[in-house]
Amino acid sequence: MPRFLKMPPQIIRLVLLTIGIVCAYFTARYFLTPQSFGQYGHYRGDALQEIAARQPFWAGKAACVECHTDHAEKLAKGEHKTLSCETCHGPGEAHVKNPAEKLPKLDMTKLDMSLCVRCHAASPSKPKWLHQINPHNHYTGNVCTECHVPHQPNEVPP
Amino acid sequence: MSENMTRRGAIKGLAGIVGGLLALPAARTCKAAVQNGLASSPAPAGYDPFKHKWLMALDVDRCIGCGLCVEACCQENSVPEGHWRTWIERYVITKPKAESGDTRGETFVDSPEAGRNGFPESLIPKEEILKSFFVPKLCNLCEHSPCTQVCPVGATFDAPDGAVLVDKNYCIGCGFCVQACPYGCRFLNPVTHTADKCTLCYHRITRGLKPACVEICPSQARIFGDRMNPVAEDPLERFIANNKVEKLKQSLGTGPRVVYAGLDEEVR
Repeated sequence: MPRFLKMPPQIIRLVLLTIGIVCAYFTARYFLTPQSFGQYGHYRGDALQEIAARQPFWAGKAACVECHTDHAEKLAKGEHKTLSCETCHGPGEAHVKNPAEKLPKLDMTKLDMSLCVRCHAASPSKPKWLHQINPHNHYTGNVCTECHVPHQPNEVPP
Repeated sequence: MSENMTRRGAIKGLAGIVGGLLALPAARTCKAAVQNGLASSPAPAGYDPFKHKWLMALDVDRCIGCGLCVEACCQENSVPEGHWRTWIERYVITKPKAESGDTRGETFVDSPEAGRNGFPESLIPKEEILKSFFVPKLCNLCEHSPCTQVCPVGATFDAPDGAVLVDKNYCIGCGFCVQACPYGCRFLNPVTHTADKCTLCYHRITRGLKPACVEICPSQARIFGDRMNPVAEDPLERFIANNKVEKLKQSLGTGPRVVYAGLDEEVR
């Protein structure tokens, strides 16, 4: 009879219980820890793919330029060359996937915060390089495009 | 030990080992089955996070405060109403009091609706303003991110490509990370009840697109690039080379990576 079996039974029960709990913990850990845990670090590697699985909402300028080369060429010549198409025209992912689904036409009569005025309304906080106007006394008509070409701001419309 | 060794005991022990070895493949199959049941991830997308190091740079002198980046971010990531992953702050510094000898007066910072709808005229009259400017803010992509260090369940992590991400399935919504971030970049999403933050539009950059805010910014105030794979005439590299760049709250030792140009001393 080995000596440890001569220990009082309550101690043996405690030892067995402890071993049981430890075994249960490691068994559960073996089965429940995701395979990708620890792939890159102390986190689930699959999380990266899950986060990346979301679908983009904005198509990106490159997608627009693929078809609308004429507009892109014109845009690249003027001061609006840094603008993305979707900056003014709105999200185009649906249109890229299905060209039949047209983007809504821009309402150039809107002089609120939606189009030209959003960027070009004068403010002391805006940098000096930006062309700024006071929308209440700058225009004489009611449409910016009467005098300015959005794709080519240096040009005067015919 | 040897005095207790009997033939019966030895055979029993051997049988146990063999039985254990035989059970191993069964256990493996079982494990795979359990994990397939638990996993919800789609197939990997041929993107190696070790081959990229993403970085964003912000040019304060280029920001016009139009708020289109905030709008783009909210739409791209379905950010719940009243929460922001990126925002624009307007700094207004007043002129010093006459004969005070100070270089500047008081500083006022505001960010109505995070600047999503642009900025209404400042309440401070134009004549009193010494200078004013906009500062776009977002996750600073820290190298030693405090938000990751405090997470008790390993739900938030610094991805190898530089993004700091949250595993929604692991997050328990305790909010420790929200408190830990010294830049205030995190919030608890009221829809998922998990921590939420800028992912650098991880779903876009892994597809070769720019983050939504960078894509939409009309004035190139936001510059984005991959430090490991610079493109020809890399805008990010040019930005870092041509500007005196700074980072926010460097003294805290969080190792922020997002670089700013044209910061004023008041910006924190």
